[in-house]
Amino acid sequence: MKVLAIAYEVKDAGELAKAVKEFNGEADILAVSRAAEQVNEVARYSKRVYRLASKSPYAIYKALENLVERGGYQLLIAEGYRNLRDALSRLAGSLDLPMITDAYTIRILDGEKVLVERGFLSERAKMKVEVPLPAIVLFIPRFTEPLEPGEEGEVIELAPTEGPEKVLDVKPKAMGDVNLEEADIIVGVGRGFKAKEDLHLAFELAELLGGQVGCTRPIAADLKWLSEDRWIGISGKRVAPKLYIAIGISGSPQHMSGVQNAKIIVAINKDKSAPIFKQADYGVVADLYQFVPILIQKLKEKKAKG
Amino acid sequence: MSVIAVLVKASLNPDMVRAEPDGSIDVSAIPLKISDIDRNAIEEAVRLKQRLGWKLVTVSVVTWGPVSARMKDVRLAVQESLAKGSDEAIVVADDALTPGDQTLTAKAIKAALERSGIKPQLILAGEATIDEVTSQVPGRLAALLGYSYVSFARKLEVEDGKVIAERDLEDYVEVVEAPLPAVVSVTQEINEPRPPTLLQIRRASRKPIKTFGLRELGDIGKPSRKLLEIKAIQARRKQVIIEGETLEEIAEKLIEALAKEGVLQL
Repeated sequence: MKVLAIAYEVKDAGELAKAVKEFNGEADILAVSRAAEQVNEVARYSKRVYRLASKSPYAIYKALENLVERGGYQLLIAEGYRNLRDALSRLAGSLDLPMITDAYTIRILDGEKVLVERGFLSERAKMKVEVPLPAIVLFIPRFTEPLEPGEEGEVIELAPTEGPEKVLDVKPKAMGDVNLEEADIIVGVGRGFKAKEDLHLAFELAELLGGQVGCTRPIAADLKWLSEDRWIGISGKRVAPKLYIAIGISGSPQHMSGVQNAKIIVAINKDKSAPIFKQADYGVVADLYQFVPILIQKLKEKKAKG
Repeated sequence: MSVIAVLVKASLNPDMVRAEPDGSIDVSAIPLKISDIDRNAIEEAVRLKQRLGWKLVTVSVVTWGPVSARMKDVRLAVQESLAKGSDEAIVVADDALTPGDQTLTAKAIKAALERSGIKPQLILAGEATIDEVTSQVPGRLAALLGYSYVSFARKLEVEDGKVIAERDLEDYVEVVEAPLPAVVSVTQEINEPRPPTLLQIRRASRKPIKTFGLRELGDIGKPSRKLLEIKAIQARRKQVIIEGETLEEIAEKLIEALAKEGVLQL
């Protein structure tokens, strides 16, 4: 079976190659966006890499349409970046292919069908779903550990096609220097915090643990206490840390969908009926203003002792 | 007269999920409600309708069956958009199309628009629906109709036969221009949806809702996706409430538990 993996970031190449190794052996790769800029890194995961120096959804869509029609790919896989959701949904419509998003496991049945487990109902549930090949599957970010890189494969340059949508301007978002997708520990803050100044508690805790601070939608979008690159949830980021400490967060489905792949979730909230306690591994029912300083103090003591 | 279409889905309500003791979920027992982000799409569509003087049509496909048990919830969702300012609604409802998949939903929307003789200049949708969160129906529809597509818009303007939008991407915002006809998916940042007034709700009951079954739409295929199992995820979390005489004791117990899990790096 011919598999094509689309790498948007360089790290995708190793993760997608790992997934394919388990069910098919190898995949060709299409490197776009930042992965195209560092195509030599990407080429260490496949014998054949197509390079498309573009992040335009239309250009990616048209390049894929061409590759699928000429290359006979049966399965297309990628991680669910917004430009790829855009490009691949158009491809799915144009070639009449089933497309499954937010997958975390994949199996191929009899070389004819693909069986995927994915998040469902704003990540309160999971769905096992089967579609016939050819098909498109988008995974959640960091759904697997990357493969070890090997020899550099061949790189084939593709020319981007211009589409009807023209980019007039690109504005970087007001960013801190955070990259939540890469963080092993994230301290999440929600409306339980009464003032922006109080967030220092979360930052102090995160620093102590070697982690980053993330937040819910109101903190970034409405109150603008933190930059949007810290916003976790459906419209924000989907993260997969080893530890997520949710402080003053009630646990709306829109937010929890973003942290569903955390290994361990801790909830600190003074309202014992907050829905987050049902979605956490460890819960502490306490006023964050009382509890977090004590937790910081205790962690400092442990750290001092080694 | 130019037409704006807005896509509205009666989605499974994630807040009303009840799992059996073994974790399994009966989807037919979960009530439907209008998908939250569709409210932003409606608000934006009404704003543009008023500014441009265009007609506004709501389109909704019933994904979760059985249709007979779902029509009340579907009507509520559709009527909300009519109350907000949509002029009429098209509903596709057929048990053969449930449980729907995104392939078929996009085809059903296209077929229903064609059967109604409507060629929208602009189609608005939410960036995703709250039950499946796949963000793929608008893109599929754009490809099927040969329209331009602008996804994840958090700002939108229509002028001189084109849309100008700000696309909200992971780490940057892109200002794009695309010719009409176009499909645009919007994020929750685009506006603040206002609930309809009582008077608007009363007036909405007189607006036309056209319902299509498969027979009226012609052959658009069958769902190719099989749902094999749906299980609650909550059961996976341990849900241990850490208790103690003092907050100090609780903090120590928490640190101990996290160290045991191997997730603490001090």
